[in-house]
Amino acid sequence: MTRLFGLIISLITAVVLTAAPTAASSRLVADLSNKSIAITTGFHGTELLLFGAVDGRAGDDIIVIVTGPPTDIAQRRKDNRAGIWVNVETNIWKQAPSFYNILATRPLDKIASIEMMQQLGIGPAHLGLTLLPEGGTGPAIDANRFIEALASNMASIHLWPAQTGTVSLAQDALFRATLDLPANIVTGDYDIRVLHLRDGMAISEDRTRLTIEKGGLTADIYNLAHDYSALYGIFAIAFAVAAGWLAAAAFRRN
Amino acid sequence: MHIGIIIGLGGGVGFLSGLFGVGGGFLMTPLLIFFGVPSPVAVATEANQIVASSVSGVLAHMRRGNVDFKMGSILLIGGVIGSSLGVWLFAFLRELGQIDLVIKLCYVVFLGIIGSLMLTESVRAILRTRRPGARRVKLHQHNWMHGLPFKMRFRRSKLYISALLPLAIGAFVGILSAIMGVGGGFIMVPAMIYLLGMPTSVVVGTSLFQIIFVTANVTFLQSVQTQTVDFMLAGLLLFGGVIGAQFGTRAGALLRGEQLRGLLAILVLLVCVKLGYDLAVRPDDLFSVELLK
Repeated sequence: MTRLFGLIISLITAVVLTAAPTAASSRLVADLSNKSIAITTGFHGTELLLFGAVDGRAGDDIIVIVTGPPTDIAQRRKDNRAGIWVNVETNIWKQAPSFYNILATRPLDKIASIEMMQQLGIGPAHLGLTLLPEGGTGPAIDANRFIEALASNMASIHLWPAQTGTVSLAQDALFRATLDLPANIVTGDYDIRVLHLRDGMAISEDRTRLTIEKGGLTADIYNLAHDYSALYGIFAIAFAVAAGWLAAAAFRRN
Repeated sequence: MHIGIIIGLGGGVGFLSGLFGVGGGFLMTPLLIFFGVPSPVAVATEANQIVASSVSGVLAHMRRGNVDFKMGSILLIGGVIGSSLGVWLFAFLRELGQIDLVIKLCYVVFLGIIGSLMLTESVRAILRTRRPGARRVKLHQHNWMHGLPFKMRFRRSKLYISALLPLAIGAFVGILSAIMGVGGGFIMVPAMIYLLGMPTSVVVGTSLFQIIFVTANVTFLQSVQTQTVDFMLAGLLLFGGVIGAQFGTRAGALLRGEQLRGLLAILVLLVCVKLGYDLAVRPDDLFSVELLK
């Protein structure tokens, strides 16, 4: 499907740029060093290698967009009420990416125009997110007013890194990038979209998937806490009573 | 959060709780918040830790016969009702996005009141010891509270009072326990001495006895309703706390009672001022986000 789309774009480009018909037919293949990650005890985040090959030429660019599983995000605004700062407004971003990171060979504004980025859906402002008042009722709110604040909040908890990451492209053919995943990433399926741009236009695209799941003891505890929360509570109490007893016994002579 | 920091925090607060003979929840919860643990997690997890520290504390008091089980049971019935109500209130406020504010306001108000009372009391006590011969204050007087119905005899506490009183105190402290993540000893102990008129010797043991059940109830209900209990965090805090408390107890033997209370009062007021300041100062970022399911 994406190949076909890439082919169509190539064909169109080929027709438009009659001067260089052969150069416009581009192929792009991307892959990851690891397709699935288990979050275990003591998970401090991880790094993944994204690599691939492209049929490129001098001056071409690669953009990589990593998108985490969609989730609703509550955004709260504080204001001063009677001398203290309290949350006065809550809006909900519907199905926003829980993780969003862009990596590129050059600064984005050097690669393509804002219009192109918008068309390709690159950047928080171009995701077409819906913002609703709390409770989900009432008309949608103008997302443009709040998207910057959302991006900055999400950046501060490492989920939407503000810096564009680096993609290195060797001999206009082989590209690689290191994906930095923070400790607090959400589990689920991650979409990794790789775009090949030439003269500010996307000429081909490939997608790959990454699965992040909880593993080991952390997974067991997490699942217990959510699926068997009553059992978890009893376990936590039993653990505390035993620990308290043990502590008293250990220091009794003192 | 780094494991070393967590154990260090546990140790530091454990030292202070050993030094001053307090549970330490009212110090630990704000500290966890200062270190970036989300307030709901800090509160629920601290309740879990207090279960453990109260168990180990009450055992020592039981050996000395300093626990009034009858009084403790009435207090804990009130406490279970109050804390259940508190957890429900907690979940409700969390949905409104105001739980953070309420937790902090509760801390500012109660730490402010208790801290100021303790400070004045200890300063007076210190002045009194310097001027011997000053008159003593009568411990408790008869007033309207002694006219309430459902009177019960509490032999260990040498009291004959209405069961409604400890029930109400238990319930009130239970609500605070759920919202603030404290055992509530710092409110329960003065209430038992000044409102109920219990002898000082049984106050701490009895308070610890009922705190076990109230915080266990909070742990259970928070696990079920908000899933904010992190018993790994509680375990690490406890590990540091147990060790710290041993050193604190020894250090405490070197200081006099009223000096200790004065120092504790200053500490309590410092935490209060810090929390109040954070609420009053314009935050760097007016926006905050929370990932929903």
